[in-house]
Amino acid sequence: MVTLADYKGKVKPDWCPGCGNFAQLSAIGGALTELGIEPKDSVVVSGIGCSSNMPEFINMYGFHGLHGRLLPVAEAIKWANDKLTVIGYGGDGDGFFEGTQHFYHTSKRNVDITYIVSDNQIFGLTTGQASPTTSMGMVTKTTPNGNIEKPLNPLDFALTAGATFVARAFSGDAKHLKDVIKAGIQHRGFSFIDVLSPCVTYNKLNTYDFFRKRVYHIEGNDRKDLMQAYRIAQEWGDRIPIGILYENTDKTYEDYDPILSKGPLINNPVHKLVEDDLEEFV
Amino acid sequence: MKDTEVVVRVAGAAGDGVQSAGLIIAKAFSRSGLYVNTYNYYQSLIRGGQSWYQIRAAHEKVRSQGDGLDVLIALNKDGLTRHTNPMINEGGASPLEGVAIFDKEITGYEKGKATYCEMPLGEIAAKYGKNALMKNTVAIGAMAAAVGLDFSILSGVIADQFGKKGDVADQNVKAAKEGYDYYSSNFKKLGKKIQYGKTKRYLMAGGEAVGLGAVSGGLKMYVGYPMTPASSVMHYLASHTEQFGLFVKVSEDEISAINMAIGANYAGVRAMTGSSGGGFALMTEALGMSGMVEVPLVVYEAQRSGPSTGLPTKTEQGDLMQVIGASQGDYPKVVFAPRNVEEAFYMTREALNLAEKLQMPVIVMSDLYLAEHYESVENLDLNFKIDRGNFAKDNQPDFKRYQYTDSGVSSRALPGQAGLMHNEDSDEHNEYGAVVSDAETDPTLRRLSMEKRMKKINIYLKEMPPTDTYRYSDAEYAIVQWGSTQGVVEEAVDMLREKGIKAGAVEINRVYPLNPDMGKLFSGKKKIIVVENNYSGQINRFLRSEFLVKTELITKYDGESFYPGALAEELEAVIRRN
Ligand SMILES: Cc1ncc(C[n+]2csc(CCOP(=O)(O)OP(=O)(O)O)c2C)c(N)n1
Ligand code: SF4
Repeated sequence: MVTLADYKGKVKPDWCPGCGNFAQLSAIGGALTELGIEPKDSVVVSGIGCSSNMPEFINMYGFHGLHGRLLPVAEAIKWANDKLTVIGYGGDGDGFFEGTQHFYHTSKRNVDITYIVSDNQIFGLTTGQASPTTSMGMVTKTTPNGNIEKPLNPLDFALTAGATFVARAFSGDAKHLKDVIKAGIQHRGFSFIDVLSPCVTYNKLNTYDFFRKRVYHIEGNDRKDLMQAYRIAQEWGDRIPIGILYENTDKTYEDYDPILSKGPLINNPVHKLVEDDLEEFV
Repeated sequence: MKDTEVVVRVAGAAGDGVQSAGLIIAKAFSRSGLYVNTYNYYQSLIRGGQSWYQIRAAHEKVRSQGDGLDVLIALNKDGLTRHTNPMINEGGASPLEGVAIFDKEITGYEKGKATYCEMPLGEIAAKYGKNALMKNTVAIGAMAAAVGLDFSILSGVIADQFGKKGDVADQNVKAAKEGYDYYSSNFKKLGKKIQYGKTKRYLMAGGEAVGLGAVSGGLKMYVGYPMTPASSVMHYLASHTEQFGLFVKVSEDEISAINMAIGANYAGVRAMTGSSGGGFALMTEALGMSGMVEVPLVVYEAQRSGPSTGLPTKTEQGDLMQVIGASQGDYPKVVFAPRNVEEAFYMTREALNLAEKLQMPVIVMSDLYLAEHYESVENLDLNFKIDRGNFAKDNQPDFKRYQYTDSGVSSRALPGQAGLMHNEDSDEHNEYGAVVSDAETDPTLRRLSMEKRMKKINIYLKEMPPTDTYRYSDAEYAIVQWGSTQGVVEEAVDMLREKGIKAGAVEINRVYPLNPDMGKLFSGKKKIIVVENNYSGQINRFLRSEFLVKTELITKYDGESFYPGALAEELEAVIRRN
C-alpha cells in the first residue's frame, strides 16, 4: 500500500516559510497516495523558478528542466511510457511567458498529462519582477510605476486552446486543492490546474487574506458546458471561483496516433532493417 | 571529360518538373549498372525562377557532380541559353558541347557549340495526355536514345514513378518511347564508351541515409520542425512510420522538438531531432541541458547558406562554429560530419550508440549538398549491434544517478523502475541529482561534477579511429577537407596528381573533438591547404589553434558546392604561390 510517507523527499524544501508551494507539494503527494499510484510510476517534470524546484522535495521520478520548457519533456515521457503518471509543475512566469507556446499546443494536442501551475502572479526566484498574471497597477521591481499590462487569464487560455480539464485551486484550501489535483490526474487527457499560490515575499497584494476573502467553490456547474466555463473563467474581483470549470472526454493525442495507440513506445520492438526495406532505393 | 562517363542536365523553371525528371534519369542510369551522383540547383520558389538537376553516371565510382556536360534537356528558353552559352553557364560546368534536347516551340535562342536537337516534344506529349509535364517524359526518352540507354530499363523506372501500372504510367511509357524513337531516327548518338551493366546499387540522398541509419540504430521517435535542408530526414521517416514502428512528430517549434527528444530518451526511448542552422540555434539551450542531465541525445544539423534565414535552398559549411559552440558553459559533446551518403547512414547509427553509451549529446552535421544530392550506395551493412549503455538494476541501494566513476559514466534509471527514484537536474547537482546551486553552492562538488561529465569524452577519444587520408603516403601537399566536400577534393587531388603535383587529402568526419593524433599528419608537408564551403574558414581556425600549424585556405561561399576542375585550378595556384 502506498502511504504519504513514501512520497516524502530526502531534500527539505527551501521555500520561504509560508510560501504557497508547500501546500501543493503535500497535495500532489496526497493525491498520488490516495490514487494508489506508486512513486516509481510517477514523474514530475518542472521548469525553472521557486515552484519548479519541487521535484527535489518529493520522492518520485523528477526532471527539473529548462525555464518554460517542461511541457514538451512531460509529453514525450508520456509517449515513451504511458504507464507513467506524468505531472508538469512550474510557475506562472515559466508557463505563461516562456512556455506559452507549449501550453497552447499541449492543450490543443490533449496529451494525457496533468499540468499544475503555481500561480503566484510574480517572479519568485528572480526576486519579484512582474509576471504574465501580475495584476494591473501592481508595483514590482520591473513595474515601479505600476503594471500597465492586462494580466493573462490562464483558464480562458486553456479553454480556448482545447484543454479537456480546466480547474483552479488555492494553496490556502488544502483539501480542495488535493481533490482537484486528484481529479486532474484521473482525467484522461490534458488537465490544467491553475493554483492561486501566495508568494509571501514578493507579492504583497495577492496574499492568503486577499484570496480567503474572495474565493468561493464553484458548485452545480455543467462541466461539459464550454460557454458556462468561459463565463466562470471571467470572474475575477470580489469573488474568485475555484474548482473544476470544464471537463470533457475527447480522445487524446495518443488515441489518435496510429503508433502510440498500439501502446507505449518503450515496448515497441526495434525494427531490424532488412534488404527489402531498401528496395525503394533501387 | 572522360569517355566512360556521361553528364546529363535538366534545366527549367520551378514547376516545370525538373527534379522529378532528373530523378527518373538518375534511377534509370543506376538500374543500368552505373554509379550515379546528382546535383540539384534550385531556388526557394514553388514556381518560376531557374533550376536544374544534374546527373553524372559512370561505370566507376563517381565522387562528385563533375565538371562537364553531355546532354541538356532544356524545358524553357532560359534553360537552353544558360547552359549552352559560355557567358552565362552556371555551376562551374563547362558549356555544353554535346546535345541539347528541347521543344521546337523554343525559338530565337542564341547558339553555342552544342548540337541543337529540336524536337516536337509538346506534340508527342499531346497525343498521350493533357498533362503538359509529359513533355519531360518525351525528352527523357530522347535522352535515353542519345546515350544508348536500354529503353526497357527506362520504362521500368517511369512505370514505378507513376505507380507501376494504370493509364498514367502507360501513357508516359508510350510518350517516352516515341521520344526515344524520334531521337534515334533524327539525331546521332553521343560518342561515348559507356559500359552498362547489371550491378544492383541503391540510389539514395544523404537525408534518406540519415533516416535509414537512424532506423538501423534503433530509433523509435523523431521530432522536428520543418526547415530545409533538414526536412528530408523527417519526410523519409514520416512516410515509413508503420513499416518501422516509428513515432514521428512535428512539434510547435524546434525548442519543443529537442525537449521532447530529451524527454523520450530520459524515459528510455531512442529519440532524435534535427534542424538546419536557425532551428538548431533555438535548440541550443536544451542541447546543453542534455549534457548536464546526462540524457543521451542525437541531433541532426543540416547546414544551409547563412547567416540568418540566408539562402534556404543553397549549400554551405557555415555552422561549424555554431555547432561546436552550441549552448552555454562547458559540457561534453561529440560532433560528426559524414563525408558522403553512405557514411551518413553509418555515422547516424553510431551516433545513437555513442550518445547512449556516454549519456551525452552527439550531433550529426550535414549540409544541403549532402542532404539532398543522390549517390550510389552499395553493400550497406545492415547488421548493427545496438548498445544501450549502463542501466541500474531495480532497488539498487543508495542509488546515485550521477555517481562519480572512473570513466565518468554512471548508470541510468528509467522512470518506472522500482527503488531508483531520483531527480535529473538541469541545475548543477550532486551524485544523487540534488541541486548544488543557489544557497547550496559548493565549490568542491561543482568541480567534481564538472570533471565527471567532461571525463566521458576520453572514452570517445580512446576509441576514435585514425583520420582518413587519400593518396597521402607520399603526399607533399596536404589538402584538408571536412564533411561533404570529400568527393570533389579527392577528384581535385587526382587532377593535381595527373599534373605531377604530389597532393593528398586529409578527410575529417569527426569534427569535434578533433582526433589529437591528426597533428602528425601535417608534419613535413610543404603546404597545408584547407578547403571549406564557407567564408571565414571555420575548421581552418580550429586546426590552427589545435595543432599550431600554418595553413592556407580556399573557400567558396556562393551557395553552391565546389566543382573538381575549378578547385584543382585554385589548389594549383596556391601550391605554386610562394
Ligand atoms: C531561459 C531563461 N530565462 C530566464 C531565466 C531566469 N529565471 C529563473 S526563474 C524565472 C522566473 C520565475 O518565475 P515563475 O516562473 O513565476 O516561478 P516562481 O519562482 O514564481 O515560482 C526566471 C525568469 C532562466 N532560468 N532561463
Ligand atoms: S520567493 Fe515567493 S515563491 Fe519563492 S519561495 Fe519565497 S514565497 Fe515562495
